[in-house]
Amino acid sequence: MKRTPTVGEVLRAKGVSRRGFLKYCATTASILALPPSMIPRIAEAIENARRPSVIWLSFQECTGCTESLTRSASPTVEGLIFDTISLDYHHTLQAAAGDQAEAARHAAMVENDGGYLVLVDGSIPTGNPGFSTIAGISNVDMLKETVAGAAAVVAIGSCAAFGGIPGANPNPTGAVSVMDLVTDKPVINVPGCPPIPTVMTAVLAHFLTFGAIPDLDKHGRPMTFFGTTIHDRCYRRPFYEQGKFANTFDDEGAKAGWCLYKLGCKGPTTYNACATAKWNSGTSFPIEAGHPCLGCSEPNFWDAGGFYEPLSTGNFDSGEKLAGAAVAGVALGAVAAAAGRRRQAKFTKEG
Amino acid sequence: MDLLEFAKGPALQVAAYILVAGSIWRLIGILLLKEKPDYSEPRQSAGLLAALKVIYTRSFTAAPFKAATLYPKMLAYVMHIGLFATVFLFVPHIMFFEGFLGIEWPGLPNNIIYLLGVAAVVASFALLVRRLTSPVLKLISNFDDYFSWFVTVLPLITGLMIPVRMGLRYETILAIHILSVALLMIWLPFGKLGHTFLVFVTRGTTGMVFERRGAKT
Amino acid sequence: MTTVDGRHELDREAERLAYKPPEIRHDKQGDMGSDERINKAMHNFVKNFNTQTASYLDGCLHCGMCADACHFHVRTDDPRYTPIWKIELFKRTYKRQVGPFAFFYRLLGLKRQVTIEDLEEWQHLLYDSCTVCGRCSLVCPMGIDIAGLVSMARHGMFKAGLVPHELHEVAKKAAETGSPLGITPDKFEDRADWMADEHDVEIPMDVDEADVLAVMSSIEIQKYPQSIAATAKILNAAGESWTFRTDGFEATNFGMLSGNPEWQKAASLKLIDAAVKIGAKTLVLPECGHAYMALRWMGANMYGKPLPFKVMHISEYLADALNTGKIKVKKVDKSITYHDPCQVSRRGGATQAARDVLNHLTGDFREMPLGGDYNWCCGGGGGVVTIKRADPLRHRVFKLKMDQVEQTEADELVSSCANCRQSFDDSQQHFGWDYTMGSLMEMVAENLEEDGS
Repeated sequence: MKRTPTVGEVLRAKGVSRRGFLKYCATTASILALPPSMIPRIAEAIENARRPSVIWLSFQECTGCTESLTRSASPTVEGLIFDTISLDYHHTLQAAAGDQAEAARHAAMVENDGGYLVLVDGSIPTGNPGFSTIAGISNVDMLKETVAGAAAVVAIGSCAAFGGIPGANPNPTGAVSVMDLVTDKPVINVPGCPPIPTVMTAVLAHFLTFGAIPDLDKHGRPMTFFGTTIHDRCYRRPFYEQGKFANTFDDEGAKAGWCLYKLGCKGPTTYNACATAKWNSGTSFPIEAGHPCLGCSEPNFWDAGGFYEPLSTGNFDSGEKLAGAAVAGVALGAVAAAAGRRRQAKFTKEG
Repeated sequence: MDLLEFAKGPALQVAAYILVAGSIWRLIGILLLKEKPDYSEPRQSAGLLAALKVIYTRSFTAAPFKAATLYPKMLAYVMHIGLFATVFLFVPHIMFFEGFLGIEWPGLPNNIIYLLGVAAVVASFALLVRRLTSPVLKLISNFDDYFSWFVTVLPLITGLMIPVRMGLRYETILAIHILSVALLMIWLPFGKLGHTFLVFVTRGTTGMVFERRGAKT
Repeated sequence: MTTVDGRHELDREAERLAYKPPEIRHDKQGDMGSDERINKAMHNFVKNFNTQTASYLDGCLHCGMCADACHFHVRTDDPRYTPIWKIELFKRTYKRQVGPFAFFYRLLGLKRQVTIEDLEEWQHLLYDSCTVCGRCSLVCPMGIDIAGLVSMARHGMFKAGLVPHELHEVAKKAAETGSPLGITPDKFEDRADWMADEHDVEIPMDVDEADVLAVMSSIEIQKYPQSIAATAKILNAAGESWTFRTDGFEATNFGMLSGNPEWQKAASLKLIDAAVKIGAKTLVLPECGHAYMALRWMGANMYGKPLPFKVMHISEYLADALNTGKIKVKKVDKSITYHDPCQVSRRGGATQAARDVLNHLTGDFREMPLGGDYNWCCGGGGGVVTIKRADPLRHRVFKLKMDQVEQTEADELVSSCANCRQSFDDSQQHFGWDYTMGSLMEMVAENLEEDGS
């Protein structure tokens, strides 16, 4: 069998200079919050890593995650890193189709048994298996079959990580997340709608460098990228503290770039790297573009109140029940007063 | 459902039902007791206006008592003003009220709210020390006094912990804060915190009775 | 300069090297068992719980500020004299029996039933150490009328037979003979005749029809009989059609002070009936504080409908007569200060009347510090002056009064309450004090301008 080239070999073949490669490693180290002393180790690890085999499964999804990964204005080191991985199956990107495609997946699984990565985007329906099938195989079956020989699973995007929009109320397909189904393999969640491309590649870089999964938070997200809130790193934070808020999308406050809390910004409860890593090759992130954070990297973000309702809005369902409570109060009060009066009458008679 | 969703949803909702039902229960339970008509000839007319007058004037200490009650009164003012500002003038709270009232009002910058909140906490602790050391207060205090103190100070402290974070995750501490508020709402109608609404009844009653006599209110 | 704490006087009289525990006397009337007393107390507490009292008892914050307004606490620092603590049993009974959450208090045993020991202890707090002066009602941030609650709590104590003996005896005598000092109609008539002779004044008695019914307090009839003559002089000078009545002359109401609503009602109805019988337009109350509270503000409620006549305190009558020129007085060349009877000024609303009168009498009226509505009580109101065992406490709080009076450096001290006058006289004797309490009405009578009308 032909020896698979190392990542370093592939990069050099593609014309990436040593300087450019080290710069990427330094960036990765800083993103991963590693000390500079780790840069050589990252460089060494990535350079000598065998092209890992990756199988990408897409279930109930919108292809936005793939779009995020591929929509780069120019080829970046991140993009090249993906070139260097052996993406053996990705039904959006691959040229093969039908039986050939499925054969490629099976071949990769057999060849790299126990060592390949499974990347999943989209949630998995557990209702009728016919809700979502690929090559006649239900999503659940395909996931279980593919994951069996994997080293780890990366759930890309909020649908795979938490169920996403298919799993939102009323969840007609009974959609669940990867970690709901995969319990015997390490699962790394890289949520976001879509996730930040840098974050996806950095997670892979971490896996290549250390051969292990990074520290995860309680939602299975790498702490490095999901350890602080958007609010804590937001450049508009001072306006929040000063009480300067945009009240509408076109008022003076909005034009002045004041805090978007009142317009429903979920930054305070959203853990993601948008405010630091930014989007579109580091151009900006939603708040910088004048739109409140939707909280897309948080579980159930579709159901956690309206996007444009301030975070502190309570989830009351209606005033009717409150009116009911008031009526109950009147009744209880009347009963209490009647009981008190009856006691008074009784005691008065007894003297 | 995570803790924050539970706090923002069912917890707050149930607390609101209890707050409304309990407060009305207590008020109606008092107002529907027998009422004795007063046949004495009034010195001057005294109706709702007299009630409103005393509701307002009793917010201030009469001059002869100023010196003796200065310390607790000052603390009580700081505590109440701090409590009012943090509850009603903190912008995220205004957003909360706007969520179901549909109206909003101007708030104060957060930094000022933090300052007032800290002052309220400090005053509350000073009042607690006073309650634990003054012979009069030691004698007349009961469980209600201490528990009411606790449920009032808890939301203040948890609220102030949100910007400080204290190693806890934002949504966790926010959830704890909301749950502590729910606890306050649940206890409010039943203990001495009921003075938030009873104060209008007691002061108002005294206003009407004494103003009618032309006596000092 | 002295370093002695003003609140704690030097004690030079106490025996040396002697330990004598304070004598605590719990007076009991009747031969009821403890359970019966508890039931009686509870039942008669409960009768008083209407919307007003309920809101007061539910509204207390336990802030303790009322302690700073109470002369008994201010002078002793004894926390038990905190006004709201005095009604603790009353409050507890309310919460347990009638309040909005009474069911839960009973179910969970959160407020325990009062015990006989509680009641015995509270006898001292509800009677000996409360003059119902109502200063505490003014300091309360919730506006709770604590003094009014003490009066109601006494109903339970009375029915349980737990009133200090002397006060009970006085009240009983008043109920039986019509006067707390045992003054019968004949005796009243005798003394009125004597005064008519002594002061050469016409005193109408038992006239069948008159515009004004004048009444007296037994303290005056017995101790200060010149008040009878003074009243007559003034009403004569004003040209009133007036009379005393032997079937309704006693203004004091020890039923109210001791806590027996039936006796209170009987005493009030006696005056009301007499006034109605003669078709009086006005009933003039004598110089007595609690009589004003009993008839002016509670009388109609005893009667069950509005009174068909006006009720005036003598100071109000004097102010009116002087202001309208019905009578005229010579100015006295002395500075005068005035002690406000709590029930007339602070709680009765007639604070201004006495000041109007005094400004007619002198060009140098000196208000005491804290005079008027925030005045310190004489210490003897609410029946306290009758309770002998309370004397040391009463004398102790009188110190506040002495300081207050002395600061005015006025020549004369007057008041418009015979009960205050009595406690002033007693304390004056106790302390060997310079000031003698005078009567506002007598001062007016002495200085009437004969050609005034």
